[in-house]
Amino acid sequence: MHASRGKFLFVLLSVAIGVAALTGVRGFSASFRTSLLLRARSIMAADLAARMGQQPTPGQLKALEDVRATGVVETTVTETMSMASSPKSPDPILVALKAVDPALYPFYGQVELAPAIRLQTALGPHSVAVGDDLLLRLGLHVGDDLKVGGQIFRISATVVNEPDRLSGAFAAGPRVFISRESLASTGLLAPGNRASERFLFKLPPSPDGRPGSDTAVEALKAKLVAMLPDAQVTDYRETNPALTQGLDQATSLLSLMSLVALVLGAVGVAMAMRAHLRQRLDTIAIMKSLGARSSQIMKIYLLQTLLLGLAGGVLGVLFGAGVQLAFPLVLPKTINIPTDFLIQPRAIAVGLFAGVLTTLLFTLPPLLDIRSVRPSLILRRDTESEGSAETVGIFTHFVGRLPWLLIAFIVTLFSVRIVQHRWPGHGLALMLEAVCLFAAAAFGPWLAIKARKNPWQIGAFLLILGGLAVIATALSETPLAPDAPRVGEVFSVGLVLVLLILLGASAGVLAALKFFLNHTRLHLPSSLRHGLANLYRPGNPSAALLAALGMGVMQIMTVFLVQQAVVSQLHITAAPNLPNVFLVDIANSEIDGMRKLLKAQPGITAEPELVPLAASRIEAINGVPAATANLRNFSRRMLRSTQLTWSDAPPAGTRVVAGAWWKPDESRPQVAISQRMAERLGVTVGSTITFAAQDSHIDATVVALTSANGQHVFSRADYILPHASLSSLPIIWDGGVHVDPARVSQLQRALYQAYPTVTIINVAQTIETVRTVVLQITYVIQFLAGFSIFAGVVILASSIAGTKYRRLREVVVLKTLGATRGRIAGIFSIEFAVLGLVAGVVGIFFANLIAQTLLHQLNVAYDAHWLLNLGTLAGTAVLTVVTGWVASHRVLGQKPLEVLREE
Amino acid sequence: MIVVDGLRKSIRNGARTVDILRGLDFSVPRGEFVAIMGASGSGKSTLLGLLAGLDTPSAGNVSLNGTAISYLPEDRLAQVRGKTVGFVFQSYQLIPTLTALENVLLPHELNADSDADGLPRARQLLTSVGLGDRMDHYPVQLSGGEQQRVALARAFVLHPPIVLADEPTGNLDTTNGAHVLQLLLELNRSEGTTLVLVTHDPMLADYATRRIVLRDGLIVSDERSPARPEPALSASAAVPVGG
Ligand SMILES: Nc1ncnc2c1ncn2[C@@H]1O[C@H](COP(=O)(O)OP(=O)(O)OP(=O)(O)O)[C@@H](O)[C@H]1O
Ligand SMILES: [Mg+2]
Repeated sequence: MHASRGKFLFVLLSVAIGVAALTGVRGFSASFRTSLLLRARSIMAADLAARMGQQPTPGQLKALEDVRATGVVETTVTETMSMASSPKSPDPILVALKAVDPALYPFYGQVELAPAIRLQTALGPHSVAVGDDLLLRLGLHVGDDLKVGGQIFRISATVVNEPDRLSGAFAAGPRVFISRESLASTGLLAPGNRASERFLFKLPPSPDGRPGSDTAVEALKAKLVAMLPDAQVTDYRETNPALTQGLDQATSLLSLMSLVALVLGAVGVAMAMRAHLRQRLDTIAIMKSLGARSSQIMKIYLLQTLLLGLAGGVLGVLFGAGVQLAFPLVLPKTINIPTDFLIQPRAIAVGLFAGVLTTLLFTLPPLLDIRSVRPSLILRRDTESEGSAETVGIFTHFVGRLPWLLIAFIVTLFSVRIVQHRWPGHGLALMLEAVCLFAAAAFGPWLAIKARKNPWQIGAFLLILGGLAVIATALSETPLAPDAPRVGEVFSVGLVLVLLILLGASAGVLAALKFFLNHTRLHLPSSLRHGLANLYRPGNPSAALLAALGMGVMQIMTVFLVQQAVVSQLHITAAPNLPNVFLVDIANSEIDGMRKLLKAQPGITAEPELVPLAASRIEAINGVPAATANLRNFSRRMLRSTQLTWSDAPPAGTRVVAGAWWKPDESRPQVAISQRMAERLGVTVGSTITFAAQDSHIDATVVALTSANGQHVFSRADYILPHASLSSLPIIWDGGVHVDPARVSQLQRALYQAYPTVTIINVAQTIETVRTVVLQITYVIQFLAGFSIFAGVVILASSIAGTKYRRLREVVVLKTLGATRGRIAGIFSIEFAVLGLVAGVVGIFFANLIAQTLLHQLNVAYDAHWLLNLGTLAGTAVLTVVTGWVASHRVLGQKPLEVLREE
Repeated sequence: MIVVDGLRKSIRNGARTVDILRGLDFSVPRGEFVAIMGASGSGKSTLLGLLAGLDTPSAGNVSLNGTAISYLPEDRLAQVRGKTVGFVFQSYQLIPTLTALENVLLPHELNADSDADGLPRARQLLTSVGLGDRMDHYPVQLSGGEQQRVALARAFVLHPPIVLADEPTGNLDTTNGAHVLQLLLELNRSEGTTLVLVTHDPMLADYATRRIVLRDGLIVSDERSPARPEPALSASAAVPVGG
């Protein structure tokens, strides 16, 4: 009685931990991701932007109208240069004018003003908001008047933070925000004025506030690209690739973790239920001998399972909620995680459902075993298995099931893929899949009868696999990971393959050990012999335990490896020294003085990045004159103002994706060009681009395509050449420095005094936003990974512990025969150590394989950590042995007679 | 030589205390064959367990060959058990993962501090119980009677001075039971061990030189009688039955 209560508790806990991990990870990442998605979009202030060099044609305006009709909101941002002056002083300065509709702009993020008023209030018919550098230069204050384009405006506020500052033009001159109506009234937009128009688009959000999905963004982008052939259409993901990449990686990782949580929970449940029902074999045999039918007995245990699954699920949901609530408490104070971690009813429902379903699924095989329990079992208890043929039995079982497993798997995979592509985002995929699987489950047994295998077990197997696939699909269909189906795929492929291979390997290793044992038996030291022989204890699911252990190790290790790689990449992204203040238009004669000045500034914490720029234009591409060149989504006008720079090596934040960089003293004209620009110009490695600057022409060969993370100054120049090619051209410089945000205005004053013509663009706030978001991602990832790993270890440990009931009697007999506790522990240690080592080797091997594949897809470097792997192997062995000891501890301490009585 | 002195065993069951053994005193000289009898629930198995040191008494003491075992630490006790006592259970209790030979060898491996090779002894014992050709078989491959014969061999392998058996034939049919009993008595005689046997069967008890009857945890009769000759054995019983 006592022991059986323990077992129930154990099943309950396995379910609970699995469900807790599931709801914790899911609830968490769902709400967290929403806020991340909003943050990522704030850098563009929209989902998509289309930048045009000229006014749209009437046809294009009509098309834009059609887009708006689909629920997409659009607002136009016009940026232009203008002169502005104080009515008090006659000297005008060049300003970067930005005209917006304050009722709509920005779609995401906020324009922060000082004093803290709303943008709509600040931009009245006769008022503007300006950068504080304008006040500095013109000697004005908030409330003073400013003359722009002949009109007088009142300065209502200064701009503290402009969310899309990084994605707008880096024009020289202080910022002046103005409403579109006011700009129109100034008459500055006369034809011929070099204004650039940016159309910002926002997709209709989902009812619960999530922004439009990436698929919808992609679709709209394609539409816009077709509609506006000479516009540069970018989506929010391209503004700060580092951030969105981090987001993608985080998403993939989170969905990976929730799948792992699910499967580990299921493994725990399976092992626990198996142990539980084994223990009940006697009872079942007695009931049968009293005339109970299999179906009656199965009903009883099914009900029991259902209750256990439900109770465990509720417990798990509570625990998962607790974890979510506790999470903000363990974070550093500075990382201010959005606090809308409300317990989502949906996550709870999914958790409960998954808990009950996995419990049921994994209880199915042992439940079906009830059918084959013979009443005679009560008479001869030891004959419950086929005896020493156990390994062979497992092996043939396994081989017999292999084709069904594969068929079910392929059917599942294909149906998921097809349906997901056809009807993305609908529950249809699920239903269809369920139908397929049930059909497979019904069909399988029929085939199996033909094959004279145990039909029910094969059906059960198919059902488990299918059920898992359904749950996995359900999980990755929901908000968690609409954009990361590949993780699910890689993971399911990995899971099934590993399961097959693990079962095969386990059976193989066990058979090999058995062979070895049979041929050396009496020559082995007795503890070793006994320990090894124990792997073949009748009813001891060594192969199953091995597979479970190996799978657990694999999953935990995969999560750890992927997490580690992603986090270390994110840390690079969130490096604290990224430039957050940009300097535009530094004259070549000023550069040395500028270097000194920057060095002397106390607020600057990193080496300043200074980029030489030579103004140029593109004359020909591959010999085709620019006027007739075939461009893709690029305004021909832009070819007339390009910036060239030089560098001996790929600059910070820039990666070569094709071709190779030149040697430092390269004298031939070569050029490295961003991949995005290469697509627009239709060039590739080996093409030539003819640049013209002043009177000289440079026929440069494209030798490398690059991809920049958008965080460094160099990414502002699309064309990088060897120094020699540019040595004769006039140069101006742009710069980027990292300044302590509190000291930006101090720097601004110092620069203004020394170099009044240099424009300072302060994006400290935006960069800080990106940095915090990325740091938040890393914290969440690490926390959740830690939690999944912990849950996994607990579940594995309890799977091992679950085998202790089978050991009870043996301990007693050994004690009766005079064995000390140390001796018994020794025998068990050998058994556990072998299990742990074999499972560890296989699990770790596959973890590395899967991590490598996943990381490759996520564009993250994978490193083989040999020490880590060895450590994990040792850890697995130690964990198995220690858990085995701990689980057997009570058994070892017991008086033999008590145990004999409990039989 | 077994000396039992004021042996009591009570079990606390919730608020109630059940007195299973209520003060037993007796001693068994070396080489004696004692049958313990009594109604079901009278405390026979409990007594045997205490004699073997499988449990701790509530009061009183048991000493085996001069060693008071009742309050020894568990691991010391295991050593005493291994060297002094052979135990035969009603339900055989063989280790299912070990072959018959390995099962018999087990006490030797667990307890031998001499380098003496236990193998010849184990083989000889198995042969003497008629299982010379089944040594490499696993318990599941043996019939109940055969398993109990392996268990007998195991109990005797270390030449224990004392052998305790709790209804060793209780799970067997008459023929097999008789065969096992005959082997037990043979071994007992050839090894010169002290044998304590719990049984319900008065016929079986007749072979004993002394009969102790328990009722409600007390000895109600303790009488010596001349031992009867060993049970006659039908030829068929020597052949493995019921495999
Ligand atoms: N752990 C325990 N808890 C409660 N009662 C116990 C416990 N152990 C033994 N008893 C009780 O002690 C009494 C004696 O038990 P024991 O097994 O020694 O009897 P027995 O003479 O061997 O009976 P049988 O011939 O049926 O095997 C029984 O009434 C039993 O219920
Ligand atoms: Mg009894």
